[in-house]
Amino acid sequence: MRALVIDDSRTMRRIVSGALEKLGFETIQAEHGRAALDHLEAGERVDLCCIDWNMPVMDGLTFVTEVRANPAWRAITLMMVTTESEHGQIVRALAAGAHEYLIKPFTPDAIRDKLDLLGLVALEETA
Amino acid sequence: MTVTSVDHDQVHAIAQEVFAAMVDGDLGQLLPWEGELPELPEPVVAWVDLHGEWSGRAVLVTGHTTAEDLARALLGLPDDDEVSREDLEDAFGEIANVVGGNLKSLLPNPGTLGLPQVGTQVPTLGGAIRVQHLPLSWRGRLLVVDVWFAAPDSLTTTGGNR
Repeated sequence: MRALVIDDSRTMRRIVSGALEKLGFETIQAEHGRAALDHLEAGERVDLCCIDWNMPVMDGLTFVTEVRANPAWRAITLMMVTTESEHGQIVRALAAGAHEYLIKPFTPDAIRDKLDLLGLVALEETA
Repeated sequence: MTVTSVDHDQVHAIAQEVFAAMVDGDLGQLLPWEGELPELPEPVVAWVDLHGEWSGRAVLVTGHTTAEDLARALLGLPDDDEVSREDLEDAFGEIANVVGGNLKSLLPNPGTLGLPQVGTQVPTLGGAIRVQHLPLSWRGRLLVVDVWFAAPDSLTTTGGNR
């Protein structure tokens, strides 16, 4: 499985990508929503997007809305990974089309649990 | 809305939780600083602004060497790996971002969170009131978390580079 990790922090991109790779994902990265859309529009096939909310150029909520507006991308699972933890924000993201919501700070176990819920854990975790 | 909406213990709990999840793996590594505060050599400052009914700024300050070690811990790098300035600023800025984001969730009618910024000086905020000041010890070294309450139009940043 392939995942697109979208976050303006390269630190967070590395952390999320590392956790996903231990679970068997191949990962690619984008530093904001517009760059992530560029990947998809170029034909990159991904099964999962992990999306920060607050980013320059294009935020995560706008990215979710854009992906959901394109029927060609409806199979992609969208998971917000963000510090935005208020109930209203979670509702907004889910209403826009996100499937899951992971609040920062998180542990690698929390990512695994969310992917389990989504039926997306590809492999047993490697060391 | 009052300037005292942010509680000292809540700020400490947030900082502890962020460090436990992202840096240390357990809750006991970020403790209240005991004794006099030493001068920070080569300070590194990361901050994020909170905009809304309650406007303010969450600021983290530590020394350059400590920020390097934080970046190594966050990125899972060996102790002797060199940390670039870019990685240091990104990692410390992300810690400030997560602390600020969780702080925002405590506020009634929370607004929006700015993007994290990093510099070498505490940014000036005209007319702001410091509502919390938490000198903390991470692995025996000083790391300060401050929370400022500010008029919304004073939240123009100076000195940051991220």
